[in-house]
Amino acid sequence: MRPLTLWRYEARRAGWAALLGPPLAVALGVVAAWANPLPGETTTARILLGALEMAIPLAAGVACGSLTGRDPAVEIQLTAATSYRATLLRRMAVTLAWTAVIAVLTAAVLIATGWWARWPENHGPVAGQLTWLAPTLGLSGLGFAAGAVFRSPAAAGALVTTVWALQQFFGDAAQQNVAGRLLYLFATTRGAVPGDWAANRLTLLAVAAGFVALALVVLGHSERLIGEEDE
Amino acid sequence: MRIEITGLTKTYRGGVAALDGLDLVVPTGMFGLLGANGAGKTTLMRILAGVARPSSGRVVVGGHDLATAAGRTAVQRELGYLPQDLGVYPDLTARQFLDYVALLKGMDDRAIRRRRVGELLEVVALTSHADRRLRGFSGGMRQRVGIAQALLADPQLLIVDEPTAGLDPEERIRFRTLLSQFAGRRTVLLSTHIVDDIAQTCREVAVLSGGRLIFRGTVDELTRRAEGRVWSVVTDGPAPAEGTVVSALPHENGMRYRIVAPAAPSPGARPVEPGLEDGYLAAVAGTGMERDGTPTG
Amino acid sequence: MNTVGASFRYEFRMQVRKRSVWIVPALSLVLFVLIGGSLLRDLFDPASRPPEARDAVVGLALQIHALLTIGFGCLLADRLIRDDRLRVAPILDATPARPGARLAGKYLGATAATALPIVVAYFGFAGAYAVHTSAPEAFGWALAALGVVIVPGLLFVAAFALTVPLVVPAPLFRVLFVGYWLWGNAVAPDVMPTFSRTVIHPLGGYPLDVLLDFHGIDGEDVWAGPVPGATLNFLRPDPTPAAAWLSIGVLVVLAAVALAGGHAVRARRIR
Repeated sequence: MRPLTLWRYEARRAGWAALLGPPLAVALGVVAAWANPLPGETTTARILLGALEMAIPLAAGVACGSLTGRDPAVEIQLTAATSYRATLLRRMAVTLAWTAVIAVLTAAVLIATGWWARWPENHGPVAGQLTWLAPTLGLSGLGFAAGAVFRSPAAAGALVTTVWALQQFFGDAAQQNVAGRLLYLFATTRGAVPGDWAANRLTLLAVAAGFVALALVVLGHSERLIGEEDE
Repeated sequence: MRIEITGLTKTYRGGVAALDGLDLVVPTGMFGLLGANGAGKTTLMRILAGVARPSSGRVVVGGHDLATAAGRTAVQRELGYLPQDLGVYPDLTARQFLDYVALLKGMDDRAIRRRRVGELLEVVALTSHADRRLRGFSGGMRQRVGIAQALLADPQLLIVDEPTAGLDPEERIRFRTLLSQFAGRRTVLLSTHIVDDIAQTCREVAVLSGGRLIFRGTVDELTRRAEGRVWSVVTDGPAPAEGTVVSALPHENGMRYRIVAPAAPSPGARPVEPGLEDGYLAAVAGTGMERDGTPTG
Repeated sequence: MNTVGASFRYEFRMQVRKRSVWIVPALSLVLFVLIGGSLLRDLFDPASRPPEARDAVVGLALQIHALLTIGFGCLLADRLIRDDRLRVAPILDATPARPGARLAGKYLGATAATALPIVVAYFGFAGAYAVHTSAPEAFGWALAALGVVIVPGLLFVAAFALTVPLVVPAPLFRVLFVGYWLWGNAVAPDVMPTFSRTVIHPLGGYPLDVLLDFHGIDGEDVWAGPVPGATLNFLRPDPTPAAAWLSIGVLVVLAAVALAGGHAVRARRIR
């Protein structure tokens, strides 16, 4: 186990976006729920769970997409005894840990206040945590892999936000076949077939693992990281 | 740590050959690497530091083959590296930056780390600025931070690429002395295009041009390359077209030119004693390469 | 004018050669085709495509604009701050070229380059449709949709994407931007306060509704005008041609205001 100080430094390197993104995402979700004039608590509960399932993963995904590329001291990093892959994974872990803290706290508040139970497809307080965990890891894996491949936070962020928006704007079209339903990020609050939920969550976790593995392979080519960045 | 390089080639995308069949042995101690911009020095440094991979050829450092991941890791454990284009984290203070790099180098013991960082801040004369953010540091101060980070883990192999860029004369002298003292039984590879830095610190030197080794020997031997080829010319007209102008100084009768050329560049030319810079220019001129490393034909 | 032109050319060349400017929209289109249900596929299916060429290419413009503009905004989000990061800003600031003119050229050049793949994709699909269905008028409608819907929207988004990251970290801007894009374009006005269907609607509600007489693929959608019970209805005048041109003008003016704000922020930092 490496010293806590190293983790603190990596948290600083993850940047302000990683720190501010998740709480801001939850705050925007709460504002949206508060501004919702539609009658019925179910709709409000859906928006609140939507903050967990939609807003938090987006913030985490873009933050993880910004971890690779534009590290000013990358050449020093690549010659240190600590592998740069491990360093980037540490930064990703810090980003996701902070996201998880915000998400769990939000879920706890929703469970305690009864809003969690008011959404019929809530899947309980324990397994239901996959509401935010699966899409968060899925989008974060995508962002991390895209960042490693493009070496450009702008491109990685663009890809993450586009995938997210595509499933928002075209939610019905995205769920017309089994593959689309298994890869749908918002199966808890906008899922077309409730029975697919568990398989969907597990698929997203597997996809996240695949993306991280891809990123680690790409990051193994250290020369790419000091080559001309796609500015 | 002895460095053995055999048939090293590095070709970048687009077919640009940065290194072209390089054979070189670097012994323990201070070793200078000279070459114009684009000669392949930085590529060689990066390969030795394990950052870049060769296209072909073999590099063995301290018995570790850099072609293997285990070899690269073993070398990096003993390595101090100052890249040519040093980047730092501007939000960290100098002390924090060094502390972070020390952690990356595996110095997990906090007390040892603190002591070593404090020592090196003293060595590079930054103790009074240690708790200022790097954002506000001048280029020279950043370079001193870079030097300190390279020395953190008491490396057996120190690779420094253009280390004196941005330093003022006093800092340059202090840094050169520091490097010489540090070398001892370690290997210090000093890459630069500032000939004076090599002259003041190294006994042995290699010259790269166009990715090829054009000289390997002692500093004195390199200087002798220019024997009988250095000329002083005073003229009120244009500089002689023959040879390479080393310097041009105003003179009461016009300008005094110092020129490296195989034969007297003009009728009034007077032979003078060569220096290391002249030897370097003579060596490069003998390859038919321009300063940027491209063939002149 | 020379400064604007030189800056435009330089920025355009810098941006257009970025691989990500082409890869991101290409990947987006591939994903869009894969999920199905979009006009990218339906245009070539006689059973699914709209009967009129106008609805087909204007609907295509709407879908491509809605989706690809997200990547467009994200890609532009670091163009101003990168000058500082790459330490070229002090060099440029030391030239006699007026900073305002440089900013205008940079804005127009980077916008044009980043928009180029979108325009190419749009006209590629619209052209294929025109040939496939022997409907040359589709080109005319495509040009009209580009002029009154896509271009004003992109100009609006680009101005904010360039300038907001001067005060907010670029990754955070990307999160906020996509949230805004969804909220400000797709959320129904009676669900929560939104700019959707107002004159500040970068998806082009008023031009779609009035100038192009487009009401969705099935002809039942309304894109502009007041919504009973909704807030911000004062920003939703009755859909008339004047309101449509006003909407385009508002987007362009807001873009200019954003650029002026960014210019002021940079000027303060230099001082």
